[in-house]
Amino acid sequence: MKEQYYKSLDDLIYDARQASSEPDAGDRKSILQMKQESKSTGNSRRDFLKLFGFTVASAAIAASCQQPVQKAIPFLIRPEKIIPGEASYFASTYFDGIDYCSILVKVRDGRPIKIEGNSLSSVTMGGTNARTQASILGLYDNKRHKNPTYEGKKISWEEADDKIMLFLDEVKKRQGKVVILSSTIISPSTKAAIREFLDAHPGSEHIQYDVLSASGILKANEKTFGQAFVPAYDFSKAELIVGFDADFLGTWLSPVEYTKQYAKNRKLVDGERSMSRHIHFEGGMSLTGSNADERYQIRPSQEKLVLANLYNELITLNGQSGLSISSSPGDVKQLAAELSGKKGKSLVVSGANDVETQLLVNAINELLGNYGATIHTDRHLKLRQGMDEDMDRLVREMESGQVEGLVLYDVNPAFDYPEADKFVSALKNVKLKIAMPILGEETSEHVHYVCPDHHYLEGWNDAEVKTCVYSLAQPTIRPIFKTRAAQESLLKWAGNPVDYHTYIRKYWEDNLFAGSGETSFDDFWNNKLHDGIYESGQREDGIQAYDAGAVEAALAQVKSTSGGDSLELALYTNVSVGSGKQANNPWLQELPDPVTKVCWDNYAAVSPKLAEELELEDEQLIKINDFGPIPVLVQPGQEYKTISVALGYGRLNMGIPDGTVGQNAFPLIQSTNGTKQNHLPQVTIEKVDGAYQLARTQSHHSMEGRNLVRETTLEQYLANPASGNEVRETIKAHMKSLYAQRKFEGFHWGMAIDLNSCTGCNACVVACSVENNVPVVGKEQVIKAREMHWIRIDRYYKGDPDNPELVRQPVMCQHCDNAPCENVCPVAATTHSNEGINQMAYNRCIGTRYCNNNCPYKVRRFNFFDYTGADSMPGNTKDPAEMTTDLRRLVLNPDVTVRAKGVIEKCSFCVQRIQEKKLVAKNENRTLNDGEVVPACEQACPADAIVFGDLNNEESRISKFFADERNYHLLEELHTLPSVGYLTKVKNKTI
Amino acid sequence: MKLKSPVLRKSGFSPKVFLLTLSMSIFVFSATAFAGTQTQQSEQDSANSAAVEQSSPTDTATIQSDSVSANSVNETETETQADTTDQAAKEDTVFNDAASAKSEPAGEERFSHYRNDIKRGERFFRGLLPQNNKQESCASCHNILPSDTLNWNPSALDIANKYIEKDFAEFKAVVMEPSGGKMAEVHKDYSFADADLKTVKAYLDDLSMRGPAPVKPTIDRLLLFLFLGLIITWALLEMIFFRKIKYKAIPLIIFLGVFSYQVKMIYEEAVRLGRSQGYEPEQPIKFSHKVHAGQNQIDCKYCHFTVEQSKSAGIPPTDLCLNCHSLVREGTRSGKFEIAKVIEATDNNIPVEWVRIHNLPDHVFFSHAQHVNAGKLDCIECHGEVAEMDVVRQVEDLSMGWCLDCHRTKEVQFVDNNFYESYEVLHQQIKKGEIDKVTVDMIGGTECMKCHY
Repeated sequence: MKEQYYKSLDDLIYDARQASSEPDAGDRKSILQMKQESKSTGNSRRDFLKLFGFTVASAAIAASCQQPVQKAIPFLIRPEKIIPGEASYFASTYFDGIDYCSILVKVRDGRPIKIEGNSLSSVTMGGTNARTQASILGLYDNKRHKNPTYEGKKISWEEADDKIMLFLDEVKKRQGKVVILSSTIISPSTKAAIREFLDAHPGSEHIQYDVLSASGILKANEKTFGQAFVPAYDFSKAELIVGFDADFLGTWLSPVEYTKQYAKNRKLVDGERSMSRHIHFEGGMSLTGSNADERYQIRPSQEKLVLANLYNELITLNGQSGLSISSSPGDVKQLAAELSGKKGKSLVVSGANDVETQLLVNAINELLGNYGATIHTDRHLKLRQGMDEDMDRLVREMESGQVEGLVLYDVNPAFDYPEADKFVSALKNVKLKIAMPILGEETSEHVHYVCPDHHYLEGWNDAEVKTCVYSLAQPTIRPIFKTRAAQESLLKWAGNPVDYHTYIRKYWEDNLFAGSGETSFDDFWNNKLHDGIYESGQREDGIQAYDAGAVEAALAQVKSTSGGDSLELALYTNVSVGSGKQANNPWLQELPDPVTKVCWDNYAAVSPKLAEELELEDEQLIKINDFGPIPVLVQPGQEYKTISVALGYGRLNMGIPDGTVGQNAFPLIQSTNGTKQNHLPQVTIEKVDGAYQLARTQSHHSMEGRNLVRETTLEQYLANPASGNEVRETIKAHMKSLYAQRKFEGFHWGMAIDLNSCTGCNACVVACSVENNVPVVGKEQVIKAREMHWIRIDRYYKGDPDNPELVRQPVMCQHCDNAPCENVCPVAATTHSNEGINQMAYNRCIGTRYCNNNCPYKVRRFNFFDYTGADSMPGNTKDPAEMTTDLRRLVLNPDVTVRAKGVIEKCSFCVQRIQEKKLVAKNENRTLNDGEVVPACEQACPADAIVFGDLNNEESRISKFFADERNYHLLEELHTLPSVGYLTKVKNKTI
Repeated sequence: MKLKSPVLRKSGFSPKVFLLTLSMSIFVFSATAFAGTQTQQSEQDSANSAAVEQSSPTDTATIQSDSVSANSVNETETETQADTTDQAAKEDTVFNDAASAKSEPAGEERFSHYRNDIKRGERFFRGLLPQNNKQESCASCHNILPSDTLNWNPSALDIANKYIEKDFAEFKAVVMEPSGGKMAEVHKDYSFADADLKTVKAYLDDLSMRGPAPVKPTIDRLLLFLFLGLIITWALLEMIFFRKIKYKAIPLIIFLGVFSYQVKMIYEEAVRLGRSQGYEPEQPIKFSHKVHAGQNQIDCKYCHFTVEQSKSAGIPPTDLCLNCHSLVREGTRSGKFEIAKVIEATDNNIPVEWVRIHNLPDHVFFSHAQHVNAGKLDCIECHGEVAEMDVVRQVEDLSMGWCLDCHRTKEVQFVDNNFYESYEVLHQQIKKGEIDKVTVDMIGGTECMKCHY
């Protein structure tokens, strides 16, 4: 029997019902639907009069809208190289304490409007992720601190400085303790500034606190290599990747970098005939796990046991005698054999924040000879430096009153510290509390002074992401509010009132310029600032050789572990909200989770088997221990006894638009042996009455049971490159038309998506929204299937619902050359251009939605409301993202029309970018180069899965992709002749 | 779920009624549009006055003076009569009053005297006081109301705004002993009493605080429209009820004639809605393109230098003006007054707020670089003979039809620009002689997404 694809469990049940022709057990209505029905009353004479009055009034208003006088205000003195109306790009760095990305910031007429990847960076290599793309909206956030405050009252910087310095002087006399609590600092200049502060205040301390901690890795490496560090992993060199609960494509350590490396090794284009193999062990279904060639379900508590067994098998294969360990829940013999065949070409990683687990991982990688090949101990990844126990110690010290002053820099422990209540009550014993946040947050409500920091796009900074891999951040806009760089504040309080720009320059001149080989520092500085990056090529020294001693102890500890049989809770971070730093970013909140397709909430994912056993169903509220109530989501592929809940939700008063989104799961985290554990071994769940509606984009736009994602295995592909895509030949043979196929003179734009590279990380979705002013519609509208994303990532499950495989497919407008939408538009608002683009003229659209109805791909979006304030009628507005406020609107791209209510919109192939690059070529009197036009989605993609170009040009990348035997078109049997092609997915598995 | 249509029918809401609503709203719409024919000009004025209101803290005092001394109006009237009879005495009183006002700046009395000064100053400025007859009045050179022709001399408001911050001595010095050039020539034999000048200063200060008088909307077209409506009503009543005219065709013909004229008016106004052909607003500086581009032959691209690189041709940054005007400090006709504005803008760090003339809707993406650099169009083709204009006027209507007409006939730089090598078929056709030129529409220049995206 053919394996069946389904988009959700409902689909599967529905299909089963259809097959057995059983009547539907009852139409499940949404709460909102019912509400509407109860409201509907007949239209009356009054309504008519209202309508009449409104029409007259609106006509009168519209007619009296004279053209306003527009002012044209030139520069007084034009800055060099700034051309009004043209965008400039500035290299910068995104680091929010968790995610790092080297970026280019697009600035139009003085305001940053888009973030793109910096391809010069050896770390992120031009890739971005959803959180980086969305971070630009944080600049234009109404919730930002607008000036320094003292206990909530506005004060001036001078006043704040005077009072703080007065206090610090007193503390200094007493030799009292002041603590700077920050997230991981990767900026060498900031570290220098903190050092200066510490030197000026003897007895004070700097503590780094990571929300998503890697203390386990740091400590394990301290034991095996003598230094606490995170090594540089190189997934591109690994032919066999084994992941244990490490979401390295989504949120683990440096996901953009890892996605670049991972995808590089998964491509089967340009004559490449081999690809990496990825085996994943996890409890919940993560982005990374869903991309694996083979995925095994284990409970978080079993991870150590599996690793120990794997280690045991490997040393047995090495000829040593094995240890006696209770047997693994899964058979690892085969895996061990496979791994030992890939010595020096494999990589084992674990996401557990547990020293023993990481010690075992180290031991396995050492056995496999991966150190020096796929893991570099002489190059450290600096993104996680915080030790969990330091933070715990700080809270204890605060409780006992040892800490007199506390400076909070870019941390929010009142929200994300597991024992937040304890922290907040301990804060009361601190005499001076200063917070230096960007955004209004939970912790700043409990401090004396709020000394707001610049947004990262407003200030200078630098970063050392890996050993001697530096990057710079520069201001792209004058500070919008009365903020000051946190470093400047610290330096000022340390008695060195210098501006941070001068300070960084000085630091670079003193510390980095020497080895660069340039003659003048100004040249060096300007070049590095232009590129955004600098690598001095130095390596860490003093790393000891591998020391196996600690592993024995870890193994001994594993021996005593007995795999429990109770329910377990796994806490994870998802790709949209992450740690919750950007939880009030509506772009991220509306981004559907790549696995569950839920947005605007977190939930408890349970396995179908457990759901059946406990009679749970979707949206049923449950309590986990004392946590909740939280809605249930039945997740195919979830481990039987594991329940997963996402962190980062439940931030208070962050308002998009009103109040809290989801539940805060941070208090569930428990520490074992001084590291925060992201799982709870024993939980009980309790059903609570009632249901909570989740907004899912999943069951919308379902393309029922058709051959949409075509896939094959590597073995079959090597035998026949067209395997999995055989049906294409049959379809092609049937492609006959009475009409001549349209020829495109000049250009014929096309896009190809390599399904093998696409990981489903959603970076393209946010990038598209930013570039094209795509509105956020809010949870209520998403429930009504009115989300506006121009590009969506469909995902289909395949096979056994308890352990399915998962495939994904990004779908945007296919720009059909025989487009069904164009034929049905009564006003010719959507037509075909002579460059093969399916055009949409918003001003012509009257909103019949015939096109939407006739589109087989369901990629057209209708503006049910005015979400961005484009309409002249105020009653049409619905504003879940505050996009009608002046501040927020600064982020809009002036090159793309802001759509009003009642019009259809869809992917335009970023026509504004095409037009821009065509003009550049014309002005330079040359033909357009291949790869010059880069749509927002392609630019953002960290996996380089999207290729865009001119199909008329036979030498172009896109033409080569289209000629590939793996290429096919979505629903090509309909003869819509799409301009978007897909390359079949090839899985490297032996079945 | 119930369908909506039966509900609608029950309530008597039919498509007919809706059409009626629609047609009525069109009537109201167009009628109000007529009222708005005095488009941008008046708005600009109100914007100006609003700005003045905001900027001047003293204007609250002016408003107070209006309300406090209700009898001051009567007083001024009697005093203006007295003006003609007793000048000398008046001069003294004015002088003294002004002096006392300085030392004793409070009370109703002061306001009423102040108002008298203003009134007298205005009369003086307009040349309505008899002793001015031997000289030309100020108003004969300096406009009080905005005019449709270019007057090189600064208007009363301009002068008022400039001297509101300055004291009387400075004002007097400028009027009586101008430092050179054209003004010295015109103001040559001026002999005014200080008292008179003080009233003028008072008037000008007041003018600066008040801002320009709002222009009353012209409602000729609306009145005509309503009048025609009356005729229609009469004609209809005549045809149906009165039936006094023997020949029934007459009211019918009148009805049809008048009604079709009304339709024509609506059509014209509807087409004009949102367009501003002929828009010729007054600019904050009397900058003449005729002088710069015409007489002095300065190339357009010298000032609008981003025209070949950017979407926007660019208004020149103020420091670019100073390239010449750091030396050229005086114009032959405008004197120093207008050029001084540029220098002041640079000195005070306040950019000049020009009024934008050519303005496309937000959903149109037009690029100057595309047309001027790639398309090799001359500025004149869209902007008209700017080098002949003292005040720039929008010559074309900038409608989509106008754009498309050009795109259908204009040739692209097909052979000269290597970009077009991608269009192989057209090149072959040219070689074979099948076509002799490639117009913009042949390479997709009339498609929606060339300009709307």
